[in-house]
Amino acid sequence: MAQNLQINFSNPPFRMSSNRFSTYQANGYFDEMFGLGSSPLTHYGEISSRFSDLQSGEIEAKQRQAAASFLEHGVTFTVYGDDEGTERIFPFDLIPRIIPLCEWQVVEQGLSQRIVALNLFLNDVYHGGRIMKDGVIPREVVESSAHFRKEMVGFDVPRDIYVHICGSDLIRDGEGKYLVLEDNARCPSGVSYLLENREIMKKAFPLTYRQMSVRSVEAYPEILLKTLEYLSPRQSGKPVCVLLSPGVYNSAYFEHTYLARQMGIEIVEGKDLIAIDGFVYMRTTHGLVQVDVIYRRMDDEFLDPAFFKNDSLLGVSGLMDCYLRGNVALANGIGTGVADDKVTYAYVPEMIRYYLGQDPILEQVPTYLCWKEEDRKFVLDNLSELVVKPANESGGYGMLVGSDSTQKERKEFADRIKACPRDYIAQPIVNLSRHPTFCDGEIEGRHVDLRPFILYGDDVEIVPGGLTRVALKKGSLVVNSSQGGGSKDTWVLKE
Amino acid sequence: MLSRVADTLYWMSRFVERAEGITRLVEVNRDTELESGGSQDDLGYWHSALQAMCAEREFETSKWKEPDAFILFSGKWSSSVLNCINSARENARMVRDQLSEQIWVELNSLYHFLNHEDAAREYGEDASVFFRRIIRFSLVFQGLADATIHQDEGWRFMSLGKYLERSDLTSRVLDTLTLLDSEPTRLDLMRALRSCSALSAFRKTYRGALTVHNVADFLLFSPDFPRSLRFAIRRIDGQLHEISGVPAGSFSNEAERLAGSALAQVNFSDIESIMDKGLHESIDDLQKKLIDVGQSIFETYVLLPFEIKSASPLPYLQTQMQQQ
Repeated sequence: MAQNLQINFSNPPFRMSSNRFSTYQANGYFDEMFGLGSSPLTHYGEISSRFSDLQSGEIEAKQRQAAASFLEHGVTFTVYGDDEGTERIFPFDLIPRIIPLCEWQVVEQGLSQRIVALNLFLNDVYHGGRIMKDGVIPREVVESSAHFRKEMVGFDVPRDIYVHICGSDLIRDGEGKYLVLEDNARCPSGVSYLLENREIMKKAFPLTYRQMSVRSVEAYPEILLKTLEYLSPRQSGKPVCVLLSPGVYNSAYFEHTYLARQMGIEIVEGKDLIAIDGFVYMRTTHGLVQVDVIYRRMDDEFLDPAFFKNDSLLGVSGLMDCYLRGNVALANGIGTGVADDKVTYAYVPEMIRYYLGQDPILEQVPTYLCWKEEDRKFVLDNLSELVVKPANESGGYGMLVGSDSTQKERKEFADRIKACPRDYIAQPIVNLSRHPTFCDGEIEGRHVDLRPFILYGDDVEIVPGGLTRVALKKGSLVVNSSQGGGSKDTWVLKE
Repeated sequence: MLSRVADTLYWMSRFVERAEGITRLVEVNRDTELESGGSQDDLGYWHSALQAMCAEREFETSKWKEPDAFILFSGKWSSSVLNCINSARENARMVRDQLSEQIWVELNSLYHFLNHEDAAREYGEDASVFFRRIIRFSLVFQGLADATIHQDEGWRFMSLGKYLERSDLTSRVLDTLTLLDSEPTRLDLMRALRSCSALSAFRKTYRGALTVHNVADFLLFSPDFPRSLRFAIRRIDGQLHEISGVPAGSFSNEAERLAGSALAQVNFSDIESIMDKGLHESIDDLQKKLIDVGQSIFETYVLLPFEIKSASPLPYLQTQMQQQ
């Protein structure tokens, strides 16, 4: 008897019916599935019923299969400062994020407008700086950026495009309004997870996927290759494009091999390339082969130890000389970091008005610039209500989330801000939207953001959706993979 | 193809072959221990096996007490089965775009298994299951390499790695017979043949005449047994000519010249002259030639002409070059 009872307890009735979501709490946040209400939004109808229908244990089984599949296929990233180079899978949540077409179209237009403005800005900054002369952005803000490359002043990049691949992070606030949180204009990563997540989801929920008419993302590698070939200094014949990776110990190495494989181009490391008399060649078993375009997945200063005067072993001595002679193209161009500096970010709406004569389609998060005395005073007085970020870090490193900090941490940040005000910005804490997420056997709300990948070649192209990153730790606002974040598939609907 | 990629494929394949060969060696040695019923000095087998793999000192200075566990699981000895699989997988990670998904999945799964405590547990509970797992992996790997990827240049470099490693292993196994304190017994000869998966093939050829002379003849000169030296060297020579496009019988680089010369040695000498010269010396000589073939493949296809004279090879190969 007693045993029977126990079995009943551990095996709840087969159908969970709507129970899966009946105890779900939005807790006052904007919820991707429920909005501000208590029943699922129309575009989430199929998903909420599909997940409610799942029998007990089924979702766990699918989740385990997905994790095993990622590990088996080596879809892993490396965590730094943790047991030197541990490989981990990027945690994946099965409940997809749904974006209706009308919403996506606005986001798409907004992002296109933004990448065009950022490129006009970079071109201007390295060619005299009209925008600075006109007083829209102070010259010292631009030229004090850690990633401003004075060597690039006066150099014409191929097709006048600097940022060919951009990953801009979007969040939604308490009312569900999309805001740009930051732009990643150097070496944005994550697109391979977007593509792999889709493969997993198609296997796990084939019928739902088909029923919902989801826009496909599989063209990304093809568009990326087209974007790269567009830059080639030799336009006759098939340009030789390569992906330059720092190598197998880099945290994004899986992504590098994945993209190279999907594009059918060589993945090279610095030692595979050699610069001779202004041209770049790769070493092959049949001698040297000239390279036209390098999709580089390392920061500027690692590319050429001779040029940037360091002892980087990852780069190619003489590469910059070839680049400046116009014999090889780089994507992204050199010096794009000045555009994703978080201080520059504050001026992007002004840039859009200045260069395009348009109002920004996407709003962004209000930003306090610590180098301004007035802003700094405000920031120092209100540290516990703000997020403080270093201007030039990525990956969620070195941030202070005021509401979540100790007095000691706030004191440390205050000292750092006073010492180097240019290096810090602060923003109000945005109540990031949440998404139902499977956590320890329950479905709970977790904060999410969205990183779409924007390609700028002959035209601007964005694969529908992007990588939805989710902060798996309860209450956490930090979604970065290096800080315990996971991801979800993102479905943009056809109608 | 990229020189580094060719080199990486070559080493990936070598390490898989090495893992298989060494696993088989351990398996056979353990069985022989059982057969001998403890009447002989069991360490004698292991001693000659370790000596043939140049791992004697490594074992003595290691924390390991059991030679078999050392050969399989040592983290320090670079050719332990664990390290072979780790190196193979590390190389595979660098060239994933060249491999089929199945090859990667097989190798990656074995890697995760061996680096988990389950591996040692399985070995302790039922060693035969463990041996079968490793050897079967290698055979599946070879099958997939032949059945799921282009048989282009990269595949030829994999094939070169496989046959160079195999000829090296066969020669080392044969050499164990010359490293014993006394004349090889029946058990020793069986052990050598089984270590090369050659027992039944040998019996078919010689109908039971188990002598050093016959065993050496078979492992050195069999024209069609895939683990004999003649067979392996013929493949090496063939692949090198396929890669360069130069007809067999002539040469366009040092690797081809050396492989051709090793081939001539196994094609145009016989077991009598080998035994006259001394089996150990002959094997040693052949082994050195094969090591030179490996080195000159590296110099021909990986280094640029002006880099060859510099004393040390490029840093990324040092660990791999050391293991030759």
